[in-house]
This record gives sequence, structure tokens and C-alpha cells, in this order.
Amino acid sequence: MVRYTPVTLEEALRIRAEQDVVPYAGGTDLMVENRKGVTYLFLNRVSELQQISEDDTYVRIGSGVTFTQALKSPLVPDLMKEAVSHIAAPAIRNAGTFGGNLGNGSAKADSVLIEYVTDAKLRIASAAKERTVDVDAFYKGRKQLDLESDELIAEILIPKEGLDDYYYQKIGGRNALAISRVSFAGILNKEDGKIKRIAAAFGAVADTVLRYKEIEKMLIGKTAAEAGELKEAFIQKYADTMVLTRGRVSAEYRKSVCCNLLRDFLDQMI
Amino acid sequence: MDALNFVLNGQKVSYEGSANDRLLDVLRDEYDCKSVKCGCKEGECGACSVLIDGVLYNSCCVAMGAIADRSVVTMEGFRETERFAVLDKAFAEMSAVQCGFCIPGMVLAAEALLSANPHPDEEQIREGLSGNLCRCTGYNAIVKAVGNAAKEGNGLW
Repeated sequence: MVRYTPVTLEEALRIRAEQDVVPYAGGTDLMVENRKGVTYLFLNRVSELQQISEDDTYVRIGSGVTFTQALKSPLVPDLMKEAVSHIAAPAIRNAGTFGGNLGNGSAKADSVLIEYVTDAKLRIASAAKERTVDVDAFYKGRKQLDLESDELIAEILIPKEGLDDYYYQKIGGRNALAISRVSFAGILNKEDGKIKRIAAAFGAVADTVLRYKEIEKMLIGKTAAEAGELKEAFIQKYADTMVLTRGRVSAEYRKSVCCNLLRDFLDQMI
Repeated sequence: MDALNFVLNGQKVSYEGSANDRLLDVLRDEYDCKSVKCGCKEGECGACSVLIDGVLYNSCCVAMGAIADRSVVTMEGFRETERFAVLDKAFAEMSAVQCGFCIPGMVLAAEALLSANPHPDEEQIREGLSGNLCRCTGYNAIVKAVGNAAKEGNGLW
């Protein structure tokens, strides 16, 4: 039986282009899924994918970076660290990676929620070319990704500015080893007494993470007093727009929790 | 394809099977490491915990291809160490073991924790063991045992 354990990204991309392989990063989802008859492309020796760096605009997290590694890095924003620190337990965080969390295609992925709320981009590589895609465009549906059979997720690019004023809540069935039932992340930046930027993302409630940039615009440019007056209408707009699916808990429960978290976010941040 | 080489409890070994095979199954069935327990096969219970290059993993969530040329330690190897002797004594003194099914994983999680943080407080111990479920003890005796081991084994970690 063949075994693919490349040590460079170039080699990994060549195998990905030539063979029918499933990229294997940390294994924490794949080994539970336990698909039969597949050939894994083991990426855990590709050190190019395990780097955390920064440029003028972005913190760049390699797709092979583990959650434990991110928690130790001074470059990773606190909002991402808070979300990642609630993932499962140490042994899973030692194995699980940012690329795997994306590639698994689940709306429950705790790091992906933060990528949505921060407008992160993904660098996608193949042997032939490279491209950058917005995270919300990468997710086309549940388990449906904008990723060709010759491509690998190479890096996650998180904008550095304006992430200090955040709100995060994960609702799970227990403290450790909990799969999110509802997760919420919000960012609200003010300038000269007015709301300059607001972002609200909901995880684990539909086929993908949900974010409604059109609704967010309702509060941009508003003072705290104006935003306070608009608050109930703003929350109602979300309640009317969100189409949630049933999962481990009912869609109605999910919507109530989403609206409660949104209200708490606004109460704390406006 | 060449055999897959790795180090198991200090010994070089070659595995001839598939890269897709589950480390948990291979350790138990091929190498007779029966300390590694199968509780869930979902990474949810920690009974199959092992150390790979000194880092704690759930062996149910590791395929053999991911451990080529790496070093795996199970309780069969760890029990030969001085650190184990300290943990063993501390667990016994606190009566921290009841049915025992979770204990190999629990002890390796304690080893991983103390290696990274030799003097953890209670909260840090609970966090370090948070991936290891125990249905008998209620955890308190185990948490106290790990705290005592940290004191008794001062300097070992």
C-alpha cells in the first residue's frame, strides 16, 4: 500500500495533483469519520504549513498549525485564542489544526467562526497556481468547499486591526470536550463616539457559519444612543432573517439563543 | 512500499500494515500494549491517550502514517520511569484508582501536564486532565494525587 508523507509543500501539492488523496492534517475528524478505501496525504511533516507569521495587514496562520501552537503564539489575536482554548481538551488541541478545522466543512468549527467575524481570507495553493479567497466564499454549504481536487489550504490570513473589542460565547453541553450547540462572536469598534464597524457571526446553527453584513449596516455610523434605540429592531431583523437547521437541539432553541447572545453582545459593547 | 518505522517505548519497530490503520488498534493488537484502552474511538474519553514525541494525543484519532519516524510512549514504557513511580505512589495514597480503565490515559495526561507545568494549581490540573473521563472516582482524588505527585516529585519534571 502506498504511503504519502511529504516534507515540503511542493511535494505535497504534486501528490495532490497526481493522486486521488484525502488531505490528513491532525486526524481528529478524519479518524472519527473513518472513511473506507481512501488514501491519505499526510501533511504533518510539512513545516512550511506550520508557521505563524505576520505582515503589515495580516496575521498568517499556516494550515498545519495546531491549536496548542496558536495558544502559545504572541501573534495570534486574543479573540482567536479564546475560541481555540475552548476546543475539546489538550490532546485534541495538540493534534487539531486550523486547516483541518476548515477542511472538515462543519459550521461547528470553533476557529472558523472567528475567521468569519474577522473577515479572514484563505490562501489556497496548487502545483499550478495560488489564489486567495474570502472565508465566507470558501464555504458553499455543509461539507461543500471551494477547494479543487488538486488544491490544499495553505494559510489563514486574519486582519490584524480592530480585533481588541470583541465578544465571544460558546454554548455546549459540558465544559470540556463539548461540540458547540450555538457559538457566537462579535466585534464592535467605535470612533469619535460612533460605531465604525460591527460584525456578528453565528456558529453551529446552520449549514455554514452565518453572518449578515447587510443587517450589520443598520448600526454603522450610529452613536451609542441611536444604536440603543435601534437595538430591538436590529435583533428582530436577525430573528426574521436567520434560517436555522435542527441539530442536536431544535431550530427554535437555536434562534432564541442566537438572539439572546446578540442582545448580550450589544448590551456589553455599545 | 517500505515498512513504516517508528519508536515504541524506546525500541525501534517496523510496521508492515496500512498507513490508514488506527494507532490505538495497532498498539493493542500488533504490539500487545493493552494499557491503551478503547473507550469511544471519537477522541472524547482519553482512555487511549499516548505520548508522541512527548506530546499527549488520543491514539484513536491518529493514523499510522502520521507517526512515521516518531516516538510513541505508552504506559508499558512509562512505567519504567522515576516519574511514574512518583505518580504511582501518589495515586495509591489518594485511592485515586477504582476500576482503573481510565488510569493509563490519566497518568500519561498527568505526565504531559507536569512536563509542561511542573507546579500546576488545581484549576490547571483539572484543565490538563479535562480530556480524560473517569466514571468512578468523581475526579477529586485524581486531581489531588496529581497535585501531590508534583510536590513529591519536585525536580523530576
